[in-house]
Amino acid sequence: MDSLRQEKLQKFEEFVDRRLKPDLVRAIAERDKVFDQQKIFSDLRKNIETLEKNSVTSLRTLVNLGSEVYTQAEVPDTQRIFVDIGLGFHVEFTWSEALKFISLREEKLKRQIEEYTRLIASIKAQIKLVCEGIRELLQIPEDKTVEGRVF
Amino acid sequence: MGKPEVKGTVTSLSSMFPPEEVQKAAKMVEGKLSEKQNEMNQLKEFIADNASLINLVQKLPDELHHDIMVPFGKAAFFPGRLIHTNEFLVLLGESYYADRTAKQTVEILKRRGKSLVSKVDALKAGIQDLKAEASFFDSTASEVAEDLVEIREYEEDNSTERASQSGPVELESPSVAEADNKVSSSEDDEYARLMSRLEELEKEELAAEDDGENDEDEDANANAAETETETDGDEDELTEAAFHRKKDEGYSSLDHGQRSLESQPRKQLQQSKGKDPMNEEMPTKYNHQGLTNQLACTGLTAEPVTKGEISHSRIIHQDTKMLNPPVNASVRSEKARSKQNVHDSSRNEKPVQTPKSEFDSSKAFTGSIIEHTENLEKKLPEQKTTSSQSSDSKPSKPVSRFKMQRK
Repeated sequence: MDSLRQEKLQKFEEFVDRRLKPDLVRAIAERDKVFDQQKIFSDLRKNIETLEKNSVTSLRTLVNLGSEVYTQAEVPDTQRIFVDIGLGFHVEFTWSEALKFISLREEKLKRQIEEYTRLIASIKAQIKLVCEGIRELLQIPEDKTVEGRVF
Repeated sequence: MGKPEVKGTVTSLSSMFPPEEVQKAAKMVEGKLSEKQNEMNQLKEFIADNASLINLVQKLPDELHHDIMVPFGKAAFFPGRLIHTNEFLVLLGESYYADRTAKQTVEILKRRGKSLVSKVDALKAGIQDLKAEASFFDSTASEVAEDLVEIREYEEDNSTERASQSGPVELESPSVAEADNKVSSSEDDEYARLMSRLEELEKEELAAEDDGENDEDEDANANAAETETETDGDEDELTEAAFHRKKDEGYSSLDHGQRSLESQPRKQLQQSKGKDPMNEEMPTKYNHQGLTNQLACTGLTAEPVTKGEISHSRIIHQDTKMLNPPVNASVRSEKARSKQNVHDSSRNEKPVQTPKSEFDSSKAFTGSIIEHTENLEKKLPEQKTTSSQSSDSKPSKPVSRFKMQRK
């Protein structure tokens, strides 16, 4: 009996460690990526709104050439902005169009984040379940050895 | 390779180097190796980027303005142009920037490239070392897997002693011969050193024996008998044995780690030394060596010695001991082995607290041995059994002494 239980225990533990935990880690990583995207777009939106508010027509910036070496750059006309819409495409927008697009994009990202959150929650629940099973198996060893706790 | 001579001991390699441990060590080394490879790749990327940046900075001043797409955050661009094409703002680190011309920027970048290249070289050297270590572990693992048996034979005449390894696979002997050959040259120097140390230690030992023996009745007696027998005859052999150990260690003439695995017996020798200065050195040297392998090795051998008086905390001492010139260890160990066990136990337990602390001063060795055993317990449980076996086989053979420690 004990050996059986030991085997089961081992199987459960292995399951948790090999399948569930890495799954959880991966899901969290994916969700973080989407979070980053969301942040990028919200920053962009804020910047555009700031530009609009101050009616900035031309702009002077410092462009990073790589390894933190900057060069001065001038943007004569800020009316046209090219936004990355995915798959390597950049679309020329005016400010208002850009803002509209960004809000749409943010919606989509929010939905993705919710999905990932649900997935993560379910994985965590599974891990908890298996751990509970292991705990029960261990805490009731003397009572009924052949209880046949099958999960 | 073995010359069938006076005395010999046969040890199965698998008992000395449990296969799982060897594999674990091999994996560890592989992990470190891959880490270093990654770092190196990254550095190489940096170097490439740096080179392309130098090109760009050199080309920009050719035009007054460059039409570009100016990035605005990560996901948007503005069409614009680069102006002041000869002025660059370079980050010097710690939020310090410098306005430089193109030429000056190129110089800065070149200097950066040089430092990167030197880092890559350093990494390469480290990778070489790790590779050698890995190959050593692999060969050991294969030897162990083949049930190789190590046979140590000691001749009465102090000619070169060779530890021969024979077993089902005779192929191993050539490799061992090679190892021996490699090591022999370095050992000559050590041999001379050993001899001189041996004499010094003998004197100390004699003096110490008188004092120290009293307290550690049982241990002392047992050990004393051993030491006496040891000192009586075969100092030469002992040194020879020490040589052997060194030879063994010098398989790949590389890291301590290799040695530690190979020369467990040697470690014991070292441990047993118990010279006061040695002991004192050890704590200081502790910092130098962070080789876990050594710990493991030393720990193993020390077990039988300490007789359960081991304190885990002494591991550090072990490290220092192991690191300390092997010569000292080998020379001393022969003599004070038994004593050291006694001393070590006393020392380890509590140099401050135990009444045996008096031994510490007289016989420095004690501390180290015990520590090893601790390590042994932790790292190589198998060693315990072997060591206990070895302790039984004290008797007349000088060889057995080494074996004891090895085990």
